[in-house]
Amino acid sequence: MNNVIYILVQIVVILAVAPLVNGINRKVKALSQKRKGAPPWQMYFDLYKLLKKNAVVSDVSSWIFKAAPYIVFATALAGALLVPVSSKLAGSQIPGDFILLIYTLVLGRFFMMAAALDTGSTFGGMGSSREAMISSLIEPSILVSLFTLGLIARSFSLPEIMMSVQNNGIPLSNPVYIMVFLAMVIVLIAETCRIPVDDPSTHLELTMIHEAMILEYSGRHLAFMEYGAAVKQLIFMTLLVNIFLPTDQLINFSGLLAVLLSLILYVIKIIIVAIVIAMIEIKTVKLKLFSIPNLAALAFILAFIGVLQYFILGGGYA
Amino acid sequence: MLEFVKILSILILLSAFVLMGNKRINSYIETFRAQSLLIALMAGINGIIMLKTEGRFDLLAVCVLILVLKVIYIPGLLHRTYAHVKYEVEKDFILNIPILISVCSALVVFTYFCLRTLSSIIPNSIILQLVNSVSVIWIGLFFMISRKKAIGQIIGFLVIENGLFVTTMLGTEGMPFIVDLGLFIDLITAILIMGILVFRINDQFDSIDTDQLNKLKG
Repeated sequence: MNNVIYILVQIVVILAVAPLVNGINRKVKALSQKRKGAPPWQMYFDLYKLLKKNAVVSDVSSWIFKAAPYIVFATALAGALLVPVSSKLAGSQIPGDFILLIYTLVLGRFFMMAAALDTGSTFGGMGSSREAMISSLIEPSILVSLFTLGLIARSFSLPEIMMSVQNNGIPLSNPVYIMVFLAMVIVLIAETCRIPVDDPSTHLELTMIHEAMILEYSGRHLAFMEYGAAVKQLIFMTLLVNIFLPTDQLINFSGLLAVLLSLILYVIKIIIVAIVIAMIEIKTVKLKLFSIPNLAALAFILAFIGVLQYFILGGGYA
Repeated sequence: MLEFVKILSILILLSAFVLMGNKRINSYIETFRAQSLLIALMAGINGIIMLKTEGRFDLLAVCVLILVLKVIYIPGLLHRTYAHVKYEVEKDFILNIPILISVCSALVVFTYFCLRTLSSIIPNSIILQLVNSVSVIWIGLFFMISRKKAIGQIIGFLVIENGLFVTTMLGTEGMPFIVDLGLFIDLITAILIMGILVFRINDQFDSIDTDQLNKLKG
């Protein structure tokens, strides 16, 4: 029964908050350019409109093209179940750890790349090859940083990592956590196709990565693709805020009120992080494609220094 | 306080990595400036601790010296020297940047394995900082090797000096003041000579690529 409640809350919160993040991001960017911009909840209307429409499917494409949107959305949602939005609720045991989370998301990404290749358009292939490059470059750093956290918590399950961080004082006063935090910020930017890596708001053939892959989609399929991407982005932001900026230890009572309070705090944290990410996007320029390995190397180095400090201290932070 | 020193020592190591990933001469100099600022902060904290426990204020004096010399004077000097030299972005390294950075992380691991045997006589938190600062020395050396222009070699030299300073500060809780003073005077002389040399090299060869010094010019 407990697990059912957990899954319900998880799905409802993630699905409800995910489009809001994109909306806030666009609004902040519009305000920075002295435009008025669409309201933050515009993406809900967009998704609703797209879901009502029929999809146009090229007649040379195979079943992969039609299945991919559902697979992308389903894997993103399955991944979301492994990242508790509130550690107050996640006391019950969830099977699966962060390795499952990462590779569930990679499964969705694989089908997205395959579907982009399926129609045989030039943009699709270009987007797929770039996406493959970036994901293979960024994967070591996310795994190393999560392994570091797992080593400190002596568990690979995300709820237990969150619990252990909460019991260790302020995480961002600890050298190991600082390094891993910075690495995770770069990972978040790279994984969610934000500006130093990819520009989500253009359809310029030279720069687009994620947009190039979903260029052939329309209607329902496009809605699922975009919703999946938004959910994936929210998963990474949830990891960031719930591990490094924990607030649940401040609530020292339990019950329904505690869960509600921690969910409200969670949404506030997500909004702040969304605004900060939009600020980063405003302040930086897009890197050229062949400079992205340097950014990935920086993320890996941060994670690596983190894990090394942990080992030098002989697990002194546990 | 001690936690803060730990974070600073990791940030100094990180700045060495950032230096390794840089391509522009201006960002070399600015990264060096940032690293020196971090070291000055570290010396300041250690100096305050020293003043409280032993009543010595020489580390604080060293902190001020670092601020004046390494944060303000030397970067300014390098900026002025390189205002006349036309190279802006370095393109040729011995390897590409991600590989250079991987080699640097291997150097950190190597340092760790070298210093691990000390763990029976030195407390762990000091070893952490020693590993970081000795790695900075190694990375500075490797930086000198990996860059072909003279500026890279000057900055590498300065980074080695930074690493040495942090190592001695951790190892000896502050050297005698006269030794520090001597080191700084040496440093200024070296930088001045190097600056003049770069000027001459640029005059003679129309380039500051040190590889070209292998060729004879008739």
